[in-house]
Amino acid sequence: MFQSRYIVSAVLLFGGLLQATGAFAATLTVAVQTSDGRPLTGAVVTVRVLSGANHPAAPVNAVMDQVNRAFVPDVLVIPAGSTVEFPNSDSVNHQIYSFSPARKFQLPLYRGKRYPPVRFDQVGFVTLGCNIHDSMLAYVLVTDAPYFGRTDPTGAWSVEVPSGSYRVTVWHPRMRESTELEREVTIGDAERTAVTVRLTKPLQPAPLEGPHSWDAY
Amino acid sequence: MRCAFRKALAAAVLAFTATASHAADWIQPPAWEADVDTRLVSSDGQRSFVNGGLGTLRFDATESGLRLGRARFALSQALGEIWSLRLDASAWGDHDRNPVDLTEAYLQFRPYPFAGYRFRLKAGAFYAPISLENRAAGWESPYTLSYSAINTWLGEELRTIGVEGQADWLGTHTGHGFDLELTGGVFGWNDPAGVVIANRGFNFSDRQTTLFGRVGASNSGPLQPLELFHEIDSGPGYYAGVEGRYFDRIVIRALHYDNRADPEAFDRGIHMSAWETHFNSVGLRVEGANGWTAIVQWLAGQSYVEPDDEDMRWPFRARFALLSRQIGNHRLSIRYDSFAVDGESDDGDGAQHGHAWTAAYVFEPNTHRPDVKCKVTLEWLRVTSDSPYRVIELGTPAVATETQVQLAVRFALGPLAR
Repeated sequence: MFQSRYIVSAVLLFGGLLQATGAFAATLTVAVQTSDGRPLTGAVVTVRVLSGANHPAAPVNAVMDQVNRAFVPDVLVIPAGSTVEFPNSDSVNHQIYSFSPARKFQLPLYRGKRYPPVRFDQVGFVTLGCNIHDSMLAYVLVTDAPYFGRTDPTGAWSVEVPSGSYRVTVWHPRMRESTELEREVTIGDAERTAVTVRLTKPLQPAPLEGPHSWDAY
Repeated sequence: MRCAFRKALAAAVLAFTATASHAADWIQPPAWEADVDTRLVSSDGQRSFVNGGLGTLRFDATESGLRLGRARFALSQALGEIWSLRLDASAWGDHDRNPVDLTEAYLQFRPYPFAGYRFRLKAGAFYAPISLENRAAGWESPYTLSYSAINTWLGEELRTIGVEGQADWLGTHTGHGFDLELTGGVFGWNDPAGVVIANRGFNFSDRQTTLFGRVGASNSGPLQPLELFHEIDSGPGYYAGVEGRYFDRIVIRALHYDNRADPEAFDRGIHMSAWETHFNSVGLRVEGANGWTAIVQWLAGQSYVEPDDEDMRWPFRARFALLSRQIGNHRLSIRYDSFAVDGESDDGDGAQHGHAWTAAYVFEPNTHRPDVKCKVTLEWLRVTSDSPYRVIELGTPAVATETQVQLAVRFALGPLAR
C-alpha cells in the first residue's frame, strides 16, 4: 500500500521534472495585435492540447469585486468547476445578473454583505451586468484549456508547454470578430515558439471612465 | 417524544432564522445623500420669475451676493430585490410656499433582465426621459449650473405624476453594439403646463418646481403665483419615446408629449386654465475617449387655451448645442441656446425670441472618501431676449440683455453622493 503510493508519487515527480527540465518543454509566446498592428493588452489566450489528452486546469476560487460602479477585473478566465466570489466594495447596492446560457444567475449585492461564491461548471462565455447600473459590464470565460492567461501591456503572454501540437485561441471583449481567433501550433525541439495573432477588424470603443457614474436619469 | 419535540423545536428555530435572515435581506437600510450648494452671485438681471417678474435669470440684480443654490436630501429605499422607493427633497432658499418640498417621489419596479430584455415600471412623480443634460442625481447638470432653455422649462413646468413603463433591449449585453429602449407614460396633475411659456417665455435656471410648491411671488409682480401640478380637466396626458445607445458613446432620444388638457377647462380654486400643451423633442449626446462631450437638443410644440371660445395659441421652439471637455478633475463647458415663443393671441402677449451663451468651469477635488464629494463651479451666463410683454406690462424696452455670474461650492455627503 505504502509502496504503491511512493511509486505514484515518484512517477508524478518524474513527470513534473520532465516538464520542468526543458528537455521536452518550450516557451510558447502568443502576441496579440490589433488590426492596425498595435499590441493588444488584456486579450484572453487559451491553449488546448491536440496531440494527446487535453487535461483541463484545476478549478480555482476567483474574485470579481465591484469598485466605483464597475466590475474589477472586467474579465476573468477560470477553469470549469471554479467558483467566483462577488464582493461589493461600493457604498451602493448592486444587482448582478447573467442570462448567458453557460451560467444564468442573479445576485443582489447589498452593500456591506457577503454572498456565497457562484460556481461555473459549463465551458463558455458568461456576460455579467448590473440591473441598477446598466453601464457595468464584465465577462467570465469558463475554459477547459490546461493553459490560459491574458496578454500584458506589450500584447504578449507566455507559457511553458511540453512539445506537441496545440490550438491557440484568442478573444478580447472589444473585438468585433464573431468567434475566437484560432491558430494551430506545433512545439518541436526549439526552446521558444512565437505565435502572432492579429485581429481582422478594428476594436469596439473602450468603455468611458467617469461620465456614466453620474447617470441617474 | 422528547426527541421529536427537540427535532421540531430545532426545525422551527432553523425556519425562523432563515425567515429572519430573508427579512433582513428584504429590508435594507436606506441609501441617502445630503447636498448643500451655496452661491456667490453677481447679476444685472431684471426681476426674476420667482419674484414675479419677466427676467430670464434665476437671480436678479437685487439678489447679487451670497445665496443658497440648493439644499437637497435624497433617499433610496430598496424593498426587496426589484422594488425601490425614491424620494428627492430640496430647499431653494426663495419664498416658495414650502421651505422644503419634493421634486420627485416614486416607486420603481425593476426586475432582472431576461434573455436580453427588461421591463421597468415607475409610479409616482418623476421626470420623463427627455433631457440629455440633466443626467446627475437630483436632475442636475454636470456641465453647467443653469440648465438650457429647454431643460429649465421642463424642470419648471413638467413632471410625470403617473405611471411610466420602459422596455429595454440590452444589445450590449448580448454581443451587439447598441441598446434600445421604448418608453411610455400616462400622467395627470400637469394641466397647467404651458402657462409659464405663454406668460413669460423661456428662462435659464436650475430652480426646479417642487411638487407642492407655488412658482412666483405673491406680491405685486406682473405674474401671479402659479401652481403647476394640478388636475383640471380630469383627463390623463401621455408621452411616448424611444432611446438608442451605441455602447456608452452615443445616446439619441426622441419623445412626443401631450398633456391632452381640455383648453376650455378652468379651475376656480386656483384660478388657472388647463393648457393644452404638446411637443416633440429630439436629443443627441456624443462622448469621446479624450474627454469631449457634445450635446444637441431640440424641442418644438404648442400651448393653447380657449377661454370664452377665444383661441389663444403659443407655438414655441428651442434648441441648444453644448460642448464640454473633461481634463482630469477639471471640466470646461460652453453652450449656445436659441429660443422662441410666437404669441399668436390677439394682443400678441407672450411672444419671446432670444439666445444665450453659457460658459462654465467645474473643479471636483479628490476627497479620498467615497461618501464625501465636493464641487466648485464658476459660470457665466448672458441672455438676450426680445419680449413685447415687457413693454406692455413694465413699460421697459422689449429687448434686454441680462448677465449672471455664479460661483458655486457644493458638498455632498452620504452613500449616494457622487
